Amino acid sequence: MGAFLLRRFVFAVVLLVCTSSTALLLTRLAPGDLTSQLGPIASRSEIETTRARFDLDRSPLTQWALWATRAIRLDFGDSFLFNRPVGPLVVRAAGNTAALAVVALAIATLLGISLGILTGSRQGSRLAAFVGMVSMVCVSLPPLLTSLVFVFIAARTGWLPAGGMSSAGASDMGWVAWIADVAWHLPLPALALAVPIAAVFERLQSQSMADAVRQPFVIAAVARGVPSRDLILRHAWPASVRPLCAVYGLVIGALLSGSFIVEYVTSWPGLGQLMYQALRGRDVYLVAACAAMGAVFLAVGTLAGDLLLAAADPRVREGDGA
Amino acid sequence: MASRIRRPSRYVGLGVTAGLLAAFFFLRGCPTTRQASNGTGPAMRGGQIVGSDRATPRSFNRMVAADQPSELFDRLTQGRLVRINRATFELEPWLAEKWESSADGRVHTLHLRRGVVWSDGTPFTSADVLFSVRAAYALKSGSVVGTSLMPGGAPIKASAPDGTTVVFEYAAPSGPGVRLLDMLPILPKHKLEAALDGGTFGKAWDPATPPAEIVGTGPFILREFQIGQRLVFDRNPRYWRKAPDGGTLPYLDRLVIEIVPEQNAELLRLQSGATDLTSGELRSEDYVPARRSEENGTLKMVEAGVSTDADGFWFCLKPEKKKTDPRFAFVQKPEFRQAISYAVDREEVARTVFLGEAVPVWGPITPGNRHWFTPDLPRYSYNPARAVELLKRIGLEDRNRNGIVEDEKGTEAKFTVITQRGISNYERGAIVLKEKAARVGIVLDIAPIEYSTMLERFFDCDYDAIYMRFLSTDLDPAGNLDFWVSSGSSHVWNLEQKMPATEWERRIDTLMHEQAATLDDERRRTIFIEVQRIFAENLPVLYFASPRVFFAHSARLAGVVPSVKRPLILWNADTLSVTNP
Repeated sequence: MGAFLLRRFVFAVVLLVCTSSTALLLTRLAPGDLTSQLGPIASRSEIETTRARFDLDRSPLTQWALWATRAIRLDFGDSFLFNRPVGPLVVRAAGNTAALAVVALAIATLLGISLGILTGSRQGSRLAAFVGMVSMVCVSLPPLLTSLVFVFIAARTGWLPAGGMSSAGASDMGWVAWIADVAWHLPLPALALAVPIAAVFERLQSQSMADAVRQPFVIAAVARGVPSRDLILRHAWPASVRPLCAVYGLVIGALLSGSFIVEYVTSWPGLGQLMYQALRGRDVYLVAACAAMGAVFLAVGTLAGDLLLAAADPRVREGDGA
Repeated sequence: MASRIRRPSRYVGLGVTAGLLAAFFFLRGCPTTRQASNGTGPAMRGGQIVGSDRATPRSFNRMVAADQPSELFDRLTQGRLVRINRATFELEPWLAEKWESSADGRVHTLHLRRGVVWSDGTPFTSADVLFSVRAAYALKSGSVVGTSLMPGGAPIKASAPDGTTVVFEYAAPSGPGVRLLDMLPILPKHKLEAALDGGTFGKAWDPATPPAEIVGTGPFILREFQIGQRLVFDRNPRYWRKAPDGGTLPYLDRLVIEIVPEQNAELLRLQSGATDLTSGELRSEDYVPARRSEENGTLKMVEAGVSTDADGFWFCLKPEKKKTDPRFAFVQKPEFRQAISYAVDREEVARTVFLGEAVPVWGPITPGNRHWFTPDLPRYSYNPARAVELLKRIGLEDRNRNGIVEDEKGTEAKFTVITQRGISNYERGAIVLKEKAARVGIVLDIAPIEYSTMLERFFDCDYDAIYMRFLSTDLDPAGNLDFWVSSGSSHVWNLEQKMPATEWERRIDTLMHEQAATLDDERRRTIFIEVQRIFAENLPVLYFASPRVFFAHSARLAGVVPSVKRPLILWNADTLSVTNP
């Protein structure tokens, strides 16, 4: 286990360095730079001062070397858009995204797996066909559309806040009230993020459950007179969960990319929204820091997926031990 | 196996369908969360309004950040010596209650309002004004304001004979005179002088600054800033301005600006009543949903008037960049650009691009700029036959019958037009232009690209043609010299020329410098009409239609005075109120 975790840590460090460096260099090499945010009527001196402040007057490699040297000391540079160091900005946004991602993942897991069990164990029924059709629609929906649909529903009904992470003045009400207020704002972006993932989970679970119920050990259990609920939950489901665990790590990575547009539309101040703004504004050091934090998310997600897979499948554990 | 697992009842499907239908009808007919109330009547004190903006301010120090959210923040929290009324465009006394100007228009003596204090209680004096002037010209400290305050090409000299008098000396007479000072932010010396002296002015009042550190003379003070989420302002209890009834201003107790980056979500929030106003004008595709909300009493749609800016189309006319391009031989001829102007039906542009909510225009000064607009200019009414005739006159004909005109050497009139991706009226406008130009044999391929990429190519003259809108910084042409004179950084078709490339540009340079230095308003208008006439004959930039500016606000908002310039509503935030505080 120790060796496994060490390998994962080294992988995470390599991923982080590669991702952030590539992000920085690509942002730098792409046409245009952050001075375009000053607008077409900015003076030459203003543009030159800004370029010098962000090392854009140096070659891309020199800029990368300067940035990397500072990054070792945990100085990741300043953001042009927010006029402050990127470190605290990214950490704060990552916390918000983590909260959103955990809730979205929980919703997607509960919804996807339970519906998948239902449809997989009732293959051929109208309900299974209906849920399968809805899932296919939800899988095909781009996050922009799901976000706008949920914002529209919230705006029309007033059941949920139509965006944002907290209400104005919530921070004056004390921690408990603030957490309750954030929890009130969470369902909208979490659902927008969770629905397509839940649909993916449902399809995977449904297929693997349908395979599982045809296995000889399940048929034997039926013959022994095991009640239908136990049959599904205790015998068929544990055998069917492996494919789901295998994609779990990837889904956590996909949550981040999905959160780009969801956070943007629902005004959730997370890493996705920050990255989106940074990319649009060519805010070079902010892009690099967001990419680094994204890599951390992906590494953690992959680790979580591996651990889940190991927990669900003894063959994986044995393979690791060998 | 299948028999062991219960099949759903056939009534489940019916139930689901009925549920979906019920949900649909419920949503369709569901009342919005806040019902409209009458927005007219006497202003009431108290309450809060919630606005939205698309981004957060880059800095709370307007001297070092020119982005729109920073400008809005400054207008809400700080005062200026004088204010240009965004509705009438007249100059109004503000922190300076009166002024006198010398006969030669170079010296302006301003008398500060007595009894004004900063929001922390410190008296506002002429020392603050002198400090602000010094900070404005501290370009190395990051000031972005100084370059706009150069009447006669030199910084303004300021002195203070006493605590309530400031004397401004311009290097040359200036037509706009004291109006220029609307661009000078007035900041507190006691809070920022140490940063300016210590070389940290560029970072002073960055968005991480505790709200209590930021003091101003404006109607509101910052209470809370949550990055990426919102700004919360409380009324400034020490605000100097009084209401007509002698009571205190602002009427509102609190103003919240929610950050909503996505424009569709911004409109949905406004329609739902979650916000009372948006930062910008409505897009043409928003008119119908906004009108529907107006009909059900939730919103009010307001027409502020014709925009003072219009979408423009121009070719890069920089000879040193284009001399090897064989097309430059005809692109540089005014007849070529006039032919395109004749080929475009401006009424159709107004109808299709702006859904009818626009007026045709023939130059950069639109009817929205009432003082400087003149209708008596050469116009190129829709006439494709005349366009073909003009093209023939400069040797462009469709010789090989392929639908594209070419010169004697076979060089075809084929161009790529870049425009900003994602701006629907640019993309629609460029497509209409393409269709109309094709009818007279000119091919325009439209390439929507990212804004930053477009700007880089614009500055390098690495393009054939551009379709986009430049926002004028001032309605007074003397405030937009950068656009008009050939050495200007916004002389879009040929930036920052060392010497005027053409005779007509030299003539405009002379006239504009004379106009900017003339004090007599009538004389200034006469000169500027001549400038517009030369511009219209040579058409370095073509304009087709200027949209009417519409915005929407919640029906409970009162005291709204529309402006075509941003901030459309919050420019007079101190006199806004709500009908149900």
